[in-house]
Amino acid sequence: MVLNDRVLGVAALLLSAFLAWFGHGLEAPFAYEPVGPRAFPLLLAAVIALCGLRLVVKGGNPAAPNPMGANMRIAWMVVLVVVYAGLFQAVGFVVATAVTAACVGRLFGGSWMQCGIGGASLSLLFYFLFDRVLDVVLPLGWLEGLL
Amino acid sequence: MSSMLDNLSLGFGVAFSGTNLLVALIGSFFGTIVGVLPGLGPTNGVAMLVPIAFAMGLPADTALILLAAVYVGAEYGGRITSILINVPGEAAAVMTTLDGYPLARQGLGSVALSLSAWSSFVGSLIAIVGIAAFAPFLAQWALAFGPAEYFVLMVFAFCALTSLLGEQPVKGVLAAAIGLSIATIGVDANSGVYRYTFGIPHLTDGLDFVVVVIGLFAVAEMLQMLENKLSGQSVEVPPSQRKLFNLRELRLTSGSTARGSLLGFVLGVLPGAGASVASAVAYANEKRYIEDKDPDAKFGQGDMRGLAAPEAANNSAATGSFIPMLTLGVPGSGTTAVMMGALTLYNITPGPVLFEQQPALVWGLIASLLIANVMLLVMNIPMVRVFAAMLSIPGWLLVPGILAVSFIGVYAISATTFDLMAVVAIGVVGYLLRKLHVPMAPMVLGVVLGTMMEQNLRRALSITNGDVSILWASTVCMVLWVLAAAVVLGPMGYRWLVKRHRAQEAAA
Repeated sequence: MVLNDRVLGVAALLLSAFLAWFGHGLEAPFAYEPVGPRAFPLLLAAVIALCGLRLVVKGGNPAAPNPMGANMRIAWMVVLVVVYAGLFQAVGFVVATAVTAACVGRLFGGSWMQCGIGGASLSLLFYFLFDRVLDVVLPLGWLEGLL
Repeated sequence: MSSMLDNLSLGFGVAFSGTNLLVALIGSFFGTIVGVLPGLGPTNGVAMLVPIAFAMGLPADTALILLAAVYVGAEYGGRITSILINVPGEAAAVMTTLDGYPLARQGLGSVALSLSAWSSFVGSLIAIVGIAAFAPFLAQWALAFGPAEYFVLMVFAFCALTSLLGEQPVKGVLAAAIGLSIATIGVDANSGVYRYTFGIPHLTDGLDFVVVVIGLFAVAEMLQMLENKLSGQSVEVPPSQRKLFNLRELRLTSGSTARGSLLGFVLGVLPGAGASVASAVAYANEKRYIEDKDPDAKFGQGDMRGLAAPEAANNSAATGSFIPMLTLGVPGSGTTAVMMGALTLYNITPGPVLFEQQPALVWGLIASLLIANVMLLVMNIPMVRVFAAMLSIPGWLLVPGILAVSFIGVYAISATTFDLMAVVAIGVVGYLLRKLHVPMAPMVLGVVLGTMMEQNLRRALSITNGDVSILWASTVCMVLWVLAAAVVLGPMGYRWLVKRHRAQEAAA
């Protein structure tokens, strides 16, 4: 699928429908004021719908295609970031960061050797810098009691 | 006048505390690095630091000083790669390549670097004086604003931001509306009704502003970096040549620096224009002005005046853009919107009362801007080599570093996996929107201003019991509506005229 203004317009119309569908029933049990909690979201839904209509009608402006292999790398990156988000608290900052940093580094053209060492040192360095020096508390996870 | 001096001495009292000086130094240094790295600009740097500054427990004034130093530092840093390798480090440094790079090719790289550091400094200095002189008056005037005036003021800010950014204003409006919708998530403060929370407890207080900003400016940015394989570059700073500009060059460029600074300040104060517009306008303006008078001008081939004007303008605009945020509570650019979001983490709402209620914060910030600029000027001339060396950090180390810092920040604010996942989702959507040229700044402004805008609209309509005529009843409202219309119709009319002119030329 080619990304262009028409696709963006359709997405905007869908978002507007979503906002309107879940917004039209918002009502305060006791109304103290002339304008309740519903008006502003519905107003925004209308604005988004108008923008969407205009984009659908006009179309054009296809997004620049990505170079060969970029989409694959981007998809991998999204997967890695989701995994990182999932592991961050459960496994702990140091382990999660070392693993993800190494894999992300691979996407940016480092060798396994470089990325492995880089990821491990990055995670330890940041752990001590943020958790110990700057007082930004980070989860230890698996390494609880070790560090 | 004496009150201004009192205020400034209060500000310097705050700024000269040990912590704040150290923070200004660190911020300037970090900001310059962010500016040097292509792909990372002031907004990214400030966005990544907001949650960390908050989690470190820095007091509000110190945090704001840190963010401001990063912002100004990035404006200094962006020029380094523009001059040395013809790659602008951030958007506002594009114009600097036009004459900066030719100068470097002629062996005057170090002179161009020191001269542009000087123009940047002068630009910031003029804008700081402008803030100290004008901001209190603007705040005084805005004190009389009621909810209707505030609502219309925000409409004006959105109009300015969407119409001046980008070719297609409809995408700016869309971005603003999406941002405002994100702000409606959570409990409605007036009625207690849950909006768009879908029973998810994490959404009760709404989607945290930090989550949105990190998603849009860190995760989306990293995805974009993957489009082209990033490789570290080593940049040579030519060693044996004159480092400093001489008096003749200073005299030659002083007019350009002064004009660039003043123009930049005016454009910076207007919502929407910001540093990149200011440097472009300043360059075009200077080129026309000088070429009319001086037949020897060689703009585009290494004219120092073409280097000085845009550099002075972008720093002056960046500094000037603090005015609408501090005095009206309505930020005029993406970066100041992020900073305003940072202040709301501290439960401080910028606006006209800020000058009365938090004078130490405001004047401390103004004094710190001055100190940070002195530091940057001193640091930039001898340390150019150090900053240029940052470019040799390979992508496989840099990007994991950005990722880790972003996640540390988000986790520090909420300590939930939910927010980290939300960051990823917003980042992916943000990346797609960027591919389609939807501007990010109006969206951030929408997220930051959403609640205030809705509250002011509802309060205004409560006063008249639902009669919308209050939105244009007062003179201030009318003026703001006219300005909003002018800012929307002006560029549209201009584009139409250009098109017609071209069509006529083609027909002739």
